[in-house]
Amino acid sequence: MKRTGSYLLLVKLSFLLWAIGGFVNAVAFEPTKPIEAVVHTGPGGGSDIFARAIAELMQKEKIIAQRLQVVNKSGGGSAVAMSYLAEKKGDTHTIGFFTGVWVTNPLTTTAAKVTIGDLTPIVRLVLEPAVFAVKADSPYKTMKDFIDAAKKNPNQLKQSGGSVTGRDNLVRLVIQKATGVKWVYVSFPSGGERIANLLGGHVQAMVIEPQEAGEHIKAGNMRVIAALTEKRLPSFPEVPTLKEQGVDVPVIPQARGILAPPAVPNDVVRYWDGIFDRFAKTGSWKQYLEQNQFEDGFLRGAALNKFFGDLTVQMREVLNEAGVKVVR
Amino acid sequence: MESIGNLLLGFSVALTPGNLFWCFVGVFLGTVVGILPGLGPAATIAMLLPLTFKMDHTAAIIMLAGIYYGSKYGGSTTSILLNVPGESASVVTCLDGYQMARQGRAGPALGIAAIASFVAGTVGVIGLMLIAPPVARFALRFGPPEYFALMALGLTMVVFLAGKSMIKGLLALFVGLWLAGVGTDLFTAESRFTFGQMELLDGIDFVIVSIGIFAVAEVMVNMESRGGTELFKVPKGIRNLMPTLKDLKDCRFAFLNGSVIGFLIGVLPGAGSTIASFLSYGAEKAFSRHPEKFGTGVIEGVAAPEGANNSETGGALVPLLTLGIPGSNATAILLAALILWGIKPGPLLIQDNPGMFWGLVTSMYVGNVMLLVLNLPLVPLFAQILRVPYFVLYPGILGISIVGVYSISNSLFDVWLLGLFGLLGYAMRKLDFPAAPLVLGMVLGDGLERALRQSLMMSEGHLSVLVTRPLSTTMICLALAILIMPLVNKVRFFRLKAMEQDV
Repeated sequence: MKRTGSYLLLVKLSFLLWAIGGFVNAVAFEPTKPIEAVVHTGPGGGSDIFARAIAELMQKEKIIAQRLQVVNKSGGGSAVAMSYLAEKKGDTHTIGFFTGVWVTNPLTTTAAKVTIGDLTPIVRLVLEPAVFAVKADSPYKTMKDFIDAAKKNPNQLKQSGGSVTGRDNLVRLVIQKATGVKWVYVSFPSGGERIANLLGGHVQAMVIEPQEAGEHIKAGNMRVIAALTEKRLPSFPEVPTLKEQGVDVPVIPQARGILAPPAVPNDVVRYWDGIFDRFAKTGSWKQYLEQNQFEDGFLRGAALNKFFGDLTVQMREVLNEAGVKVVR
Repeated sequence: MESIGNLLLGFSVALTPGNLFWCFVGVFLGTVVGILPGLGPAATIAMLLPLTFKMDHTAAIIMLAGIYYGSKYGGSTTSILLNVPGESASVVTCLDGYQMARQGRAGPALGIAAIASFVAGTVGVIGLMLIAPPVARFALRFGPPEYFALMALGLTMVVFLAGKSMIKGLLALFVGLWLAGVGTDLFTAESRFTFGQMELLDGIDFVIVSIGIFAVAEVMVNMESRGGTELFKVPKGIRNLMPTLKDLKDCRFAFLNGSVIGFLIGVLPGAGSTIASFLSYGAEKAFSRHPEKFGTGVIEGVAAPEGANNSETGGALVPLLTLGIPGSNATAILLAALILWGIKPGPLLIQDNPGMFWGLVTSMYVGNVMLLVLNLPLVPLFAQILRVPYFVLYPGILGISIVGVYSISNSLFDVWLLGLFGLLGYAMRKLDFPAAPLVLGMVLGDGLERALRQSLMMSEGHLSVLVTRPLSTTMICLALAILIMPLVNKVRFFRLKAMEQDV
């Protein structure tokens, strides 16, 4: 009899626990419909592919019950996507995928009125490392060779890259400032053209992601002369960083992550904290980072706010010095 | 023969029932996407990417590539029937294709588009297999000065597109060049001609302009004539709905021209299929025995550009195959797909995954056959669309145009732009300005400006860089020759006239 009594107690207790759990659940935010995931590129752009991959991995790992629906708001660098998010003020079922462009674009574009500070940061997920590459048969074996050559012939060496506010150019600007040498930056909109111009000998250098560079090195087309990171890259253990080669410049980060519209309730932010906490520990995510040779850039809360703040100051300074018109 | 072995390996992969099925799914979807204006192959491939995670990788890439080249077939359909360019690459097809449809030759136009696509598409794949490495090495010699020369050569196509008045043609061209300049400058990150409109920061999409000044303007012009109840003639009988033997014979040079130009332009990562179709149209007209008839519905004017934009597909895979560089937007997304699946794209892709690569190449032969078989029987069916009475057809065209434009970036602003360019197109028609040069200017403007500024950055501002490199010099001379030719003819014409008067 006694036994049955304790059993009953147990049942009662667990019922109570369940009820409390239910109560807590009812308070905590849980999405009730698909989440809109806003990206600033068209289908097939870097951010778009990244967002779709995350959506897929989250579903595979059963992290999230609702679907992430990628919404392309391309236009004005990142301006259209950012103002779309700003208009969704307080919306609990919308997130955005940011990159470094979300910081630099409002700095240089008058019409881009929404800044990254207006939005609610959630998490920084990756840092994309980069390397400085030359053609395989180029005479430059180290960064010093390249800088010496640029010193001897100012503005004769050329580097291919994307937009002037892109990371490739910012890297050039900080190195130029630190060393006093000058070389030319030629913008090409597509990655294919940047590589083609290097391999064709029309330019002498480029900034490239290690995953891509690795393949060209294996094929004997390219040589990497510096890692543009704090520490040497696991995929290029023999390539020294800029700092190791005596070029003491700040590392320009290329970050990707998630943010939410302005003024979303705190429990929504907590919800996403929990989701990405679990997501960042999954095997699929680790594997994705490794395949793409991304650095794990997991960062959130006050540290993420500080990251955005510091990055904005750094970008403003670098762009100003480069003669790019900074509007805010 | 290594290539025979590769081909056999490829067929052993491509002809498995599963891969055949996915190839069909791809080309079918591609045809549909091509027919729908606005929605392009690149967007479709990106949207279908998540579905491919669970598929066999070879089957998936075969399907995605099928969407890419399949869309080039479908794109001609609305161009010919409705004057609505289904894809940016089929704008040129409107010029003669729609005129043919108006004359009751929609069937032969659609048929020749499918046949030209098939012939050139297959030639492109053969080129990809046999001469990819040397062609890719040649393409690497294209730096900014060479691209500038190529774009300048492209601009001279205005000579063949201007119609009656060269001055009006040039004016339209310059408006097009100006429109291409709207947006954020790549080199200084400054906004140009955006009037504080955020939507204009990325420039104006070329598809909006072409649908506006072709399709919307066409509808407006036709709505004017109140008595216009007369339908397009659609002849009865399947025989009249297919190209005749004479048509095929007329097009034999167009097939070749489209194949070669399309393939070569495709190999260059900085050009695109729209440029290829303009160049091959120009070449076709330049060497034609009856150039004056172009624009009034000659069948070669459909065959050449349609061939070129299909052959471009094979060409665009050349840099991917030999250098690991995407040759176009859609191939860039194919590359991204490979990365998502955990395959490392790059110059060693073929070495590391021969089955996948050669399976893909041979599936393109198979896919092209499928597309021909799929599209030819649809010709009589599609031609029936023109039997629809005007009060249904015209609202329908407007509806398709609006939905198509909206679907590019889900923006209502774009729909307003469409209306604006519709009005512009209408005004141009009324004032007898040709529309094609404007579109040409828009296609080339961006690349022309970019290449020129890149060249000048590289040479520290010396224009001589454009004429001291053999390739660019050759192309610039060719461009000058094309520009001077009509003047020479004119002078000769007046001299003859003067001589006659003397006598």
